[in-house]
Amino acid sequence: MFRVDLHPTHVCDCGKFRLRVGKPLPFGATIVPGGVNFSVYSHSAVSCKLVLFNKHEIKPFCVIPFKDEFKIGNVFTMVVFDLDYDNLEYGFYMDGPFEPREGNRFDKTKVLMDPYAKSIGGRDVWGQAPDWNDMYQHRARICFDDFDWENDHPLETPIEDLIIYEMHVRGFSQHPSSGVKHPGTFSGIREKIAYLKELGVNCVELMPIHEFDEFENSRVSPTTGKMLMNYWGYSNVGFFAPKAGFAATGKFGMQVDECKTLIRELHKNGIEVILDVVFNHTAEGNEKGPYISYRGIDNKIYYLLTPDGYYFNFSGCGNTLNCNNPIVRNMILDCLRYWAADYHIDGFRFDLASILGRDQNGAPMHSPPLLETLAFDPVLGKCKLIAEAWDAGGLYQVGSFPAWGRWAEWNGKYRDDLRKFLKGEPAMLGAMAQRLQGSPDLYQWEGRGACASINFITAHDGFTLKDMVSYDGKHNEANGENNSDGSNDNYSWNCGWEGETSDPEINRLRLKQMKNAAAMLLVSQGTPMILSGDEMANTQWGNNNSYCQDNEISWIDWKLLNNNRELFNFFSKMIAFRRAHPVLRSRNHFQNRDYVGSGYADITWHGQKAWDADWSEENRMLAFMLCGRHAKGGTIKDNSIYVAMNMHWQMHGFELPKLHDRMSWHVFANTDAARPYDIWDVGKEISLQNQTEFLVGPRSVVILVGKDKK
Amino acid sequence: MEIKTTTQGGATIIKISGSLDGNTVNDAQEKILPILTSKMSMLIDLKDCSYISSAGLRLLLMAAKQLSTQGGILLLSGLCDEIKDVMEMTGFSNFFRTFDSIPAALKALEKEA
Repeated sequence: MFRVDLHPTHVCDCGKFRLRVGKPLPFGATIVPGGVNFSVYSHSAVSCKLVLFNKHEIKPFCVIPFKDEFKIGNVFTMVVFDLDYDNLEYGFYMDGPFEPREGNRFDKTKVLMDPYAKSIGGRDVWGQAPDWNDMYQHRARICFDDFDWENDHPLETPIEDLIIYEMHVRGFSQHPSSGVKHPGTFSGIREKIAYLKELGVNCVELMPIHEFDEFENSRVSPTTGKMLMNYWGYSNVGFFAPKAGFAATGKFGMQVDECKTLIRELHKNGIEVILDVVFNHTAEGNEKGPYISYRGIDNKIYYLLTPDGYYFNFSGCGNTLNCNNPIVRNMILDCLRYWAADYHIDGFRFDLASILGRDQNGAPMHSPPLLETLAFDPVLGKCKLIAEAWDAGGLYQVGSFPAWGRWAEWNGKYRDDLRKFLKGEPAMLGAMAQRLQGSPDLYQWEGRGACASINFITAHDGFTLKDMVSYDGKHNEANGENNSDGSNDNYSWNCGWEGETSDPEINRLRLKQMKNAAAMLLVSQGTPMILSGDEMANTQWGNNNSYCQDNEISWIDWKLLNNNRELFNFFSKMIAFRRAHPVLRSRNHFQNRDYVGSGYADITWHGQKAWDADWSEENRMLAFMLCGRHAKGGTIKDNSIYVAMNMHWQMHGFELPKLHDRMSWHVFANTDAARPYDIWDVGKEISLQNQTEFLVGPRSVVILVGKDKK
Repeated sequence: MEIKTTTQGGATIIKISGSLDGNTVNDAQEKILPILTSKMSMLIDLKDCSYISSAGLRLLLMAAKQLSTQGGILLLSGLCDEIKDVMEMTGFSNFFRTFDSIPAALKALEKEA
């Protein structure tokens, strides 16, 4: 269709490009017929210039001021015609007051990246040292948004049915042992989809993939001599662009297509994608940090500032994004909508999400508008929203994160209580009963349900599972901070020797403890999350904060898979078991009563004596039975399941609850036994001779299934 | 970039040499899109094409889609390993049948005819 409003009205001073007033929305750079619409807002800037570069060139080829008539409200906008946008990088010069006490830090000499940049160059290949003389390090590019999704659609798997697998894009396949063609990239993950399916997970949670600077704070480790980098990437340069260095095609500027292709292929294989998003701070740091974008465009809009103009640091990373400022709130909403709609992302995990609930003075709010907006947003309507419900400023909201029935939480109490129980601490049974049921003590309010609890024992932050059973304390010397970084509250136990050992007894116990952890995680109500590599006993040699380790400490060593087949087998069968049994995946909490007439309550508690759990402090044994007739609120028939957990160091007999006469108990798993007797295929459980008592080994978990007698 | 068009065995063969990128894609588009006709068998040979940018790949895809809605077909031949690899990683390869050489592509077309 012919449009009359697409004719140039002006020519830039150099005479090379024709211009006209643009449209203020959408913000950013948008391809329009014949040209590109640029739109950027600043509350306090007095003027703005568009700076145009050819890709990788240090000097701009054209600088075009936004004419006064090209400003609408606080938005600078114009269409530039005849651009070769395949080869274009652009930025802005913003002029305005430099009055730090007032919150303004304009510097008209800095080229600033578009906050809405959909593609960002400058770190195209991971770890390739940039030209530090380049005044424009992170360079906005024009993005094609015409990816062919081939009928793909977000999977909308019910959250209670998810088994989340947390991974780092680079760390997952960078190790030479991964055997992939393009290590450390989106394509590398794609090559491992068959592995993910064999393991059985149906959701991957990617640690930050927004553009960040791996060279931020790069330095040499004083202990290992290795280069330390910002490996994890919890420090956004841009919110709308995927990390180019995570794409094998980043050097061709095709990271957007590669990332989308990965998502499409994961979806084809029934695997959802959750992104770990970092809206609590940016890579600009405090007043000593670089000008990348936000500081030079609208410092006092984007950041929480102290009354004298310094940066609040609730993130522990130098600055704090001003999330409940309406402008920033809209940017975050635009960003999430973009990833949900244009990238088909299935959900988001919000890093240090409690910051998102602080007001513009930093005080926690009762009903934070941003969190409410996200909970009710129509575009995000089917996305999972998961909060890391604390921040570095001391706010801890596990169980009390403002949720509107939509938000789930990383359940830090689940992690801590499971670990304490696992290592044999006393007085844990009451807490464990809560954790196994989806933490009703935390989430039974306001209709949140069991799946408000994202259950995990390990995550990127902290020990791997193998290290949790191999180290009493952290060993972060390689991080170059005198072992003072990383959590001291690990609730770990080394099983008798600190670190690697050839002692077969210790190694046997460690393997059993890992199986115990997997078993308890995967029979707990709530949504389980597994740290990638735990299924093959991946180690970081005791480093519980590997944020800066772009090397073997962080990369998954795939050779371990061959050495730890028994553990992998256990994990994959436990996952299959969970997926086969809806009784393990309730959306709502148990009612502790029989509401279907089965003769059994939905959950019952047992111990050495059936029907009579011993809750005393020194006891470390607990068992529970889930009545299969109550699966999914009584809407589906499933087998009944009995789980006995003996975290005492001696063997004990557990009296079994009696099933209906036509049913009998079958053994699905017994962590005290070695392969192949430790776990069975779903449906091939072994009939139990003694239906009245089971001898549960020391520090062991037993899982039984009630089935028809043969 | 240079484009040469010939016909052979009922197929239109387009040989692209040089670099198909943001600078040249408009030129290529003007030469390729107007000649697409319904039920056409088109073969684009990239043996002498040293580089295809994101915009270049999009042009190929657009042509393939246009042809497929008109009952035609677009085949590619002579891709170097790097272009093949990029197309694979960015999902473009899903939409094309590729062949090592022009004769191999023509043979496949003949078989299907």
